[in-house]
Amino acid sequence: MASTTGSTTKDAELRELLHRNYKYIDWKWNAVFWITAAFVVGAAGDITKLLFAGDWDFWTDWKDRQWWPIITPFAIIIIGSALQYIQWLAWRFPTGMVYTAVCMWVFATFGRWVQWGAFLDYPLNFVWPMTMVSAAVVADWTLLKTKSFVLTSILGGMAFTIVWWMSNYVMIAPYLQPALWMDRVLTVADVQGIEYVRSQTPEYLRIVEHGSLRTFLGETTYVALAFGGVLSIAGYWIGQFIARALAIWPIGRFMKKW
Amino acid sequence: MRRRIVVALTLGVVLLVASAPAASAHGERAQEAFLKMRTVGWVNVEFTGGEVRQGESGADEIFIGQGEEITITGITTLLSTWPGTLGGGNPNTGFISVIAPGPVVTIEEKTVNGVSAPHRISIEKGGIYEFDMTIAGRTPGRWHVHPSFSVKGAGTLLGPGRWINVEPVDGYTNPLTLASGEVINLENYQLSFVWIYSLLTFFIGMGWMFYWTLRKRTVQNLAVTSQIPLNTDGMSVGLILKEDHRNMNWFLIVTLALTVGMFIYQAVAWPDKLPQQVIEFAPPAFEQAGAVPVAIGIQAAYDANTTTVTMEAEVTNTGNRDLVLAEFTTSTLTFANSEVEPATLEEAELVVAPGGTVGAGETVTLRLTLADPRWEGDKLIPTTESQLEIVGLLVFDDGTFAEVHAPLKLEF
Repeated sequence: MASTTGSTTKDAELRELLHRNYKYIDWKWNAVFWITAAFVVGAAGDITKLLFAGDWDFWTDWKDRQWWPIITPFAIIIIGSALQYIQWLAWRFPTGMVYTAVCMWVFATFGRWVQWGAFLDYPLNFVWPMTMVSAAVVADWTLLKTKSFVLTSILGGMAFTIVWWMSNYVMIAPYLQPALWMDRVLTVADVQGIEYVRSQTPEYLRIVEHGSLRTFLGETTYVALAFGGVLSIAGYWIGQFIARALAIWPIGRFMKKW
Repeated sequence: MRRRIVVALTLGVVLLVASAPAASAHGERAQEAFLKMRTVGWVNVEFTGGEVRQGESGADEIFIGQGEEITITGITTLLSTWPGTLGGGNPNTGFISVIAPGPVVTIEEKTVNGVSAPHRISIEKGGIYEFDMTIAGRTPGRWHVHPSFSVKGAGTLLGPGRWINVEPVDGYTNPLTLASGEVINLENYQLSFVWIYSLLTFFIGMGWMFYWTLRKRTVQNLAVTSQIPLNTDGMSVGLILKEDHRNMNWFLIVTLALTVGMFIYQAVAWPDKLPQQVIEFAPPAFEQAGAVPVAIGIQAAYDANTTTVTMEAEVTNTGNRDLVLAEFTTSTLTFANSEVEPATLEEAELVVAPGGTVGAGETVTLRLTLADPRWEGDKLIPTTESQLEIVGLLVFDDGTFAEVHAPLKLEF
């Protein structure tokens, strides 16, 4: 009884604290924070993705059924996971993954449009960036429901990979149509890769259909998705480490505990 | 004071930008001389098509319109001097293409030894590869375009290049015929579909973010969240409400409906799909027509003042007809003997003494004089490297060619 009364009292105190008005901290603080952090988050997410997934997120002829679904979800879940931890810990916002996704979308789209489209004149239907927003919604929703980073990593990580692949396969689909070209049957994406000169990316560097344990019952994609899902779980915890050990813990060393 | 700072900053930026010269190169000057000369040789590289007239360089250049095609033909060979330090000394995978500043031209057709070769080919040291590439103008401007031979483990090696001027054409398209018979424009096929779908997902994400950031406070929450366990959503204190759970369920439903719905749409709209293709094969062997001459390099020397290489080579004609030396080629340079054919488009003059003729069955020592400022400009003289050699190909009037490599004598 006492503990219930005690927790009720505590809840009331926290409720009052939640709605307290601060003289010097108003909505402008929040706006400045979200907007300026977008540049850091977008840059961090985009750089991580470029370093790990690089060409697989760039060219339509690299968005294959094997390495694209293995490498890319792993690369993009890392920063999203870090932001999930920070935003849940600090504000109980299940927004870390989605925030990362929209920031990266803006950065990647702007980069392709300006750098690759306007400056280098690559056709944008050859270099369009992937979207991780749909997968991020699933991951953030999982955190909201489970309130557990372990469950989010396992369930959310697997779901993240599958939803990510489905939502991006929609965009690659028209470029996988067959065409007769150079006396061979190639996909539209292959033709783009051959026609549009990429001087420093000779064809033998394209990592497509490499590997030995590639298929089960002839289904390369499902094996890749399963492996990619497991890799995403690992990526999720890399992100958690970045947030906990490299962001929150150092801050805690210098800030007074409440 | 503030005004002085503004003036100083403005001046600094203006000076920085105004003094920056235009940069244009393919990066081959960064490659070492041995990499360019000892690896791949180029024979009879010709750019055919378009209009040839005086260009910005003062010399003849090629002018084509957007979509207009020209062909690049020639022969490339992996030299026997291939360094043991590259690709394990055993090159096995290559890719013949063009080097250009981005997709300023498009590759329309490519054959190697008569067979269509869109992707990589299996290669070997000493292999000879006759290529025929058709390229089309795409981006208006003046571009230097080279044929290239990329070899796994070594990098991309350039052949002789030409200036190509692409002039704009109204309504330029890049048509491609699908297996279904539909003709599409590769420049923008399904681009609006991709952007609209991607934008829809972005709006869903922004909706999710606005829901949380506009309805709830951010920074101020820390005072509360720091006092509750991590694995709680703070519903008892009002951090997250049941209403929030319900609304997020709707967001998830909309997201999954869009994802699944569009996944079904693509399966119906484009039922015939293939995975990206990988084409790799060994092209049929190319044999030189005619008796192949043999060349042994005796000595080479370089005069930095006149940027001239002189080379003595002993040439044996193993055939039964007289041969005349037509060209000397190395890396990006071609020297043409005007007695056989005048130098064209970026070729330099080949002077050969005592005359370029080697009689049938004879062995003659030829002295070649190869003057071209690009020996310095393209960094082809290996003065700072560990292998002082000039390597190239002697090309004769019957189309046969022979490798020649001579030690380079330097004067100090």
